[in-house]
Amino acid sequence: MGTTLDQEWKKGSAELLILSMLEDQPRHGYDIGKLIESRSGGKLHFHIASLYPLLYRLEHRGWIQGRWVEKPNQRRRRYYRLTTQGQRTLAQQRRSWQEFVGAVSRITGVEHA
Amino acid sequence: MPEWKHEISKQLAALNIPPAREQEIIEELSDHLGNLYEEIVAEGATPEEAYRKVLSSLSYSDLVAELRATERTAPPDPIPQGVVNSGHLFADLGLDLRYAARMLRKAPGFTAVAALTLALGIGANTAVFTIINTFLLNPLPVERVSQLAAINTAQFTKTSVSADLRPISFLNLKDYREKNHSFAALAGYSSPMALTMSSGSESQRVFGEVVTSNYFDTLGIRPLMGRFFLPDEDATPGASPVVVIGYAAWQGRFAGASDILGRTIKLNNFAFTIIGVAPKGFKGINAIFGPDLWVPSMMAEQVLPAQQQNALSDRALLTFTGAGRLKSGISLSQAQADLKTIADALEKEYPDANQGQTVSLQPLTEAVIVTNQRQGLLFGSIFLMAIVGFVLLIACSNVANLLLARAAARRQEIAVRMALGAGRWRLVRQLLTESVLLGLLSGILGFFFGYEGCRLLWSFRPAEFAQNLVDPHLNANVFVFVLVVAILTGLIFGMAPALRSSRTPIVEALKEETRTAGRSVRHITLSNALLVGQVAVSLVLLVTAALFLRSIQREYLISPGFETKNLTIFLLYPGQSGYDRTRTEQFYKDLRDRLSTVSGVASLSWAANLPMWGRAQPGVVLEGQEQRKKSEAISSVVNTIDLDYFSTMGIPILKGRDFTQDDRDAAAPVAIINDTMAAQYWPGQDPLGKRLQLPGQKEFRQIVGIVKTTNYQTLGEPPQSCVYVPLRQNNSESMVLYVRTERDPSPMITAIQSEIRNIDPALPIDDVRTGTKVIDQALWGTKMGVGLLGVFGLLALGLASIGLYGIMAYAVNRRRREIGIRMALGAGQSSVLSLILRQGMTLVISGVGLGLILSVLLGRALSKFLYGVGPGDLPSLAGASLVLLFVAMIACYLPARRASHLDPLVALRES
Repeated sequence: MGTTLDQEWKKGSAELLILSMLEDQPRHGYDIGKLIESRSGGKLHFHIASLYPLLYRLEHRGWIQGRWVEKPNQRRRRYYRLTTQGQRTLAQQRRSWQEFVGAVSRITGVEHA
Repeated sequence: MPEWKHEISKQLAALNIPPAREQEIIEELSDHLGNLYEEIVAEGATPEEAYRKVLSSLSYSDLVAELRATERTAPPDPIPQGVVNSGHLFADLGLDLRYAARMLRKAPGFTAVAALTLALGIGANTAVFTIINTFLLNPLPVERVSQLAAINTAQFTKTSVSADLRPISFLNLKDYREKNHSFAALAGYSSPMALTMSSGSESQRVFGEVVTSNYFDTLGIRPLMGRFFLPDEDATPGASPVVVIGYAAWQGRFAGASDILGRTIKLNNFAFTIIGVAPKGFKGINAIFGPDLWVPSMMAEQVLPAQQQNALSDRALLTFTGAGRLKSGISLSQAQADLKTIADALEKEYPDANQGQTVSLQPLTEAVIVTNQRQGLLFGSIFLMAIVGFVLLIACSNVANLLLARAAARRQEIAVRMALGAGRWRLVRQLLTESVLLGLLSGILGFFFGYEGCRLLWSFRPAEFAQNLVDPHLNANVFVFVLVVAILTGLIFGMAPALRSSRTPIVEALKEETRTAGRSVRHITLSNALLVGQVAVSLVLLVTAALFLRSIQREYLISPGFETKNLTIFLLYPGQSGYDRTRTEQFYKDLRDRLSTVSGVASLSWAANLPMWGRAQPGVVLEGQEQRKKSEAISSVVNTIDLDYFSTMGIPILKGRDFTQDDRDAAAPVAIINDTMAAQYWPGQDPLGKRLQLPGQKEFRQIVGIVKTTNYQTLGEPPQSCVYVPLRQNNSESMVLYVRTERDPSPMITAIQSEIRNIDPALPIDDVRTGTKVIDQALWGTKMGVGLLGVFGLLALGLASIGLYGIMAYAVNRRRREIGIRMALGAGQSSVLSLILRQGMTLVISGVGLGLILSVLLGRALSKFLYGVGPGDLPSLAGASLVLLFVAMIACYLPARRASHLDPLVALRES
């Protein structure tokens, strides 16, 4: 079940996941991937080949914005932050996601009962 | 630590995204891989293990596929500005303007030549328009000029009211003022009168107008300094000797003295106090000639010449023109009807003075120029405007040709823009913006050319009247005119090239190399047509200038009817220096006696009229023909002369006798008439012994002699009647001294002046003119017009030859390869030279042919303004054609010579 769930859920929710990772603070790509993995208890894992193209897509849509930041003794890194438009999108997606999950569990709950 | 960048960039190469973006992605991904590597090593793996793990974590095929999808959604890079249609007119305009400015900056040579060419054309238009604006459009710096009307006397003729307007008598004016219901204010002003002004020991001649006290208020003019007249100062004749001076007189004659107010000056030997200075722009109502000062009407007797000294009490003396401000809501025709009723009553009440007369109203703006002058000026202005219009068209056509040549070079640029999706009209708009911007740039330059040209023109005005002539004014009208002309110019010269360019076939143009670009036949045909037109128009202008030049040359050859050579004229106004009649007569006699002893003086005489300044007066009555209606009144020039006038002037006496010593007050009144009058009023009879009555005189004079007709007003004028009366029977306080010398008069002028000074050192004697100068002055206006025509004709010729040179040089450059091949195949230099010359000159000759036809047609239309020259005048036509052919030949020869010196090898290699 592990890999299938992982792939299916990711497709539907990847955007929501990334947006919510950026809600409280700007993060760089590696950080985002790591955080999703750890918070999902290793269940969700983003490949570099899908994480970055997704970030670029969100950036083009104007939901997030990347900025190169240089810190002492570190490589130059690109940090992404949520734009105002991104915040609005996040709220909207979160609501529909909850409705969706609620609906699914009501349906599946009734079936099992 | 391993380097990931190389690995990643190898994979991304297939993506073909902009290098900067690619670098960004590589850096970000390699940072990610670096982080991963460090983490794996930190967990205890060996570097080799970690390296393998990191590489295996990355599926490159997925990455490239995903990135290809993402990067394609990126917004397209901005395509060249000026082609993007944002849908906003003004936003687009801004873009277009920026782009146009950039294109003009990119080609400074083209921009400079085009702007200069157009500026010359626009400058010529500005200069002529400034003159028109000054004289015809906005001549009066007064308040709400449309409310102002001029009021004059008109004569009834057999069928209608004559267009010849005359002033109103003071008493009639007063009645109009008191009885009308149409005017809020009604003032009167005389024409400028020559006065002798003296302050201290110096005397000079100035011009003054006699005006009613409400004159300035009616016009709505505020004094620059001091005040204008009070009603009290215009209530009692001779009581208030006050004077207002003009700005130019204050500056010129009083050096702008700040303590001018309250100063006393003598006018005609009568002391006046200066109470005010008129504002700078105001030089009276007459648009051309203005007074130096104004005196209130009640001082008329002190300043008007003797014949008009009863102006305030004699209803028959027409001295004032009325200037009235209409009450609001009253139209000019209502006012005309109102005054007409008063005029009818006045005619009944005072038939002696007013019979056959009525009143005529016209907008004051039309009265600023005397009716007959106005028509001449109007015609001259329209004519000059047409001429400079043509000059501008030639300039436009030059620039259009330049643009066509440039369009060929820009074919690729335009094709690229069309390939990127620019619509045709969008492109036309862009190209037109460019040409309009160029037009505006030239407009700014042309404005300065025009203004400076106008000032230059003005500097040629006769110095004697410099202060009295109005200055050209520059106002909003001129600015708007230049703006409109500049924009129109841009549209005219830009339209054809823009339409042509936007039809560029994209694929062909993109494939073409720059050098062979623009081989379009149609483009050359259009250029050629423009060129033929230019040559034709230049020729028309040259021929017109030549026709007028020949005409004025003939005018100089016209005999004015008297001998101008070795003649000197002194204007003297003894009456204005306080001489009474006896003293004046004595002065005339003394001076005659003294001067006749000066060696070198052949003969001398006195006369009231200045040559070429005569004016016909109506009201001559012939004995036995009194029943003639007043409406058919006889007009004639009247001149008062002393003995020997005819011999001094070289006017032959045809019949009868000259005046003698015995023709004095006590003797029977006599007159001499000219042969024109004799033929007109006594056809087939002998006028000698017949009697006539002069205007304003009671007695009839017997005709004792007939002399030959001369020119009295203008050179070559139609013959006018003239009556001469002897000085001893008709004393005049201001006379002109005519001195005929045996040789060139210039060295003798001082001697004659010192003789005058010996009699009276206080008499102003600075106004001296030689006979030839009198003719020069009479022809001054015509000469200026012809000078302008000549300048514009030469300007047109210059512009057309530059255009010709440009198009030939361009054609030669375009055909370098062809010429190279011809020469490689054995064509000699001379055959290449003649090939190019033949092609150029074919165009020029077609243009000359067309121009000759047009010139003859135009010449016919102008024939009534030409003197002694027909529209088909061979020297003018041939001369202008030859000049044009010669200049065109040079313009063709230079590029042709360059072509014939072409090295075939170089030319072939270039392509």
